[in-house]
Amino acid sequence: MSPGDLAAALTGAGNLDPLLTSVESGGVTLAVLMLVGTPLAWMLARDRLPFPRVWEAGILCSLLLPPLVIGLLLVFMVGPYTWIGGILSWLHQSATNTFLALVIAEVYESAPYFVLGALAAFTSVDQRLEEQAGLLGDRPFAVFRRVTLPLAAPGLAMSLAVAWARAAGAFGAVVIIAYHPFGIPMQIFTTLQETGLYTALPYALILLVVALPLPLAAYVWSARAERRRRG
Amino acid sequence: MLNVDVEVDRRDFPVRAALHVADGERVALFGPSGAGKTTVLEVIAGLVAPRTGHVELAGRVLTPAAGPPVPPWQRRVGLLRQDPGLFPHLSVGANLRYARRRGAGPPPAELGALTRQLGIDGLLDAMPVRLSGGQRHRVALGRLLLAHCDALLLDEPFASLDAALRRSLTALVRDLAEQRAVPTLLVTHQLSDAQAFADRLAVMDRGVILQEGAPDEVVLRPASRHVAVLVGYLGFVSVPGGQDGNLVAGVHPDRVLPVADPSRGLVVSGNVVAARPSGAGWEADLRAGDAAFTCRLPGPPVGDRVTVTVADPPYFGPDGARAEPALAAGDADP
Repeated sequence: MSPGDLAAALTGAGNLDPLLTSVESGGVTLAVLMLVGTPLAWMLARDRLPFPRVWEAGILCSLLLPPLVIGLLLVFMVGPYTWIGGILSWLHQSATNTFLALVIAEVYESAPYFVLGALAAFTSVDQRLEEQAGLLGDRPFAVFRRVTLPLAAPGLAMSLAVAWARAAGAFGAVVIIAYHPFGIPMQIFTTLQETGLYTALPYALILLVVALPLPLAAYVWSARAERRRRG
Repeated sequence: MLNVDVEVDRRDFPVRAALHVADGERVALFGPSGAGKTTVLEVIAGLVAPRTGHVELAGRVLTPAAGPPVPPWQRRVGLLRQDPGLFPHLSVGANLRYARRRGAGPPPAELGALTRQLGIDGLLDAMPVRLSGGQRHRVALGRLLLAHCDALLLDEPFASLDAALRRSLTALVRDLAEQRAVPTLLVTHQLSDAQAFADRLAVMDRGVILQEGAPDEVVLRPASRHVAVLVGYLGFVSVPGGQDGNLVAGVHPDRVLPVADPSRGLVVSGNVVAARPSGAGWEADLRAGDAAFTCRLPGPPVGDRVTVTVADPPYFGPDGARAEPALAAGDADP
């Protein structure tokens, strides 16, 4: 494939829409993971949740189950005939074949990668350092901000990067509950089915370009943070 | 003034401690590993909740007998552990300034004077991982002092350092604690560290404070045979002619004279079981009748049998409590 072929494939009207959809949904997914997954991982790491094994099992389930099965389960959880679906319908929203559905599917597929990574990152922070910060006058949130978060940050960044790559490439659950709007994986799949391998390849290249920079940046940043700590 | 009177539930045994440490006073809580010493410190720091009791510091009730305790971040208590707990992502300077986050940091004069006193004034830009063990402890100590804590709690802080460094840091902490006039509580299982540091020694085992007093008094006059064992008495010999024939005398290896001198204590003759070089002298295991004990001698024992004098030994009755014999000195049973 020549650069000309690539440019021709991507410059058609609406050809970059899947890219925008994937970036937007991936961004929202990362925001959800950071807002919900970070405190969840911290609470699991510090034994602040009741029945922690149940939570961990729930997180592992979405890692161990095939993405297609996750999609099926999501239909039963947030589909139009469930009580969540009913509430969404009342709010004039839907969790099937919408941007919201795409985000839900991406969150479910990528959450375990972030939460388990963040759990390991928080667990690696010596709790005696947190105690010391408290004894030096920091309230718990200040301890989290000034000690826990900076020390866990390299691990959190790597986990977030992996979750991003997973969200950007989410397909199994997406094809069940969010066939539309098309993100890049769905675009690759439909293009492959309709016009063949040759026309699907540019989108595969875009997926690589979209998914790769964040993990690379996270790796470089983590390495620099580690070097700084070593003086 | 630090007042502690608490009971703490633990899996193995409950810990009961009543301690009073005046401003500027240095108290050492001494005992074997697992005796409950660290638990006492953690209760004072607010890291462990006692079952009952109260903790008072500088006129503030930190742990009331009833009601919610003051959280650790409001206690103004400094805790220095064996691991100095420097924040690895912050430079030495940032570690030192950690507690003064709301202002512009400690006044430069105070920071400068303290870092010079601690010998770390050239390390402010270094990261903790680059420091030696002694430097890390100095930085951690400086951080506590710049936080202007109302009490210093030291949990075997220098146990992992070599003897010379431990001695110099112990002397430094002692001087700084005296200058700041704050109550200071040291936890240690090394008697020499406790003696070098403290005005007062409290001996603890299995959650109970067994004896409290001046270090010399506790070591030379242990309240019971149990305390005697904890402070280093390595043997007990029966004493003849006592009012109660079952008295025993405690033998501390450092309190044995290599001569027979009844005027200075208890004369004991024993067979040499083993002897080995120890420091600048020798250490010998002696057996006298049923009793076995270890003593330090200036040179290798001559012959299979030696006679020594146990200087001014403490005596204990059959119940293990200290007792005074009718005959204060003389020959031991064998």
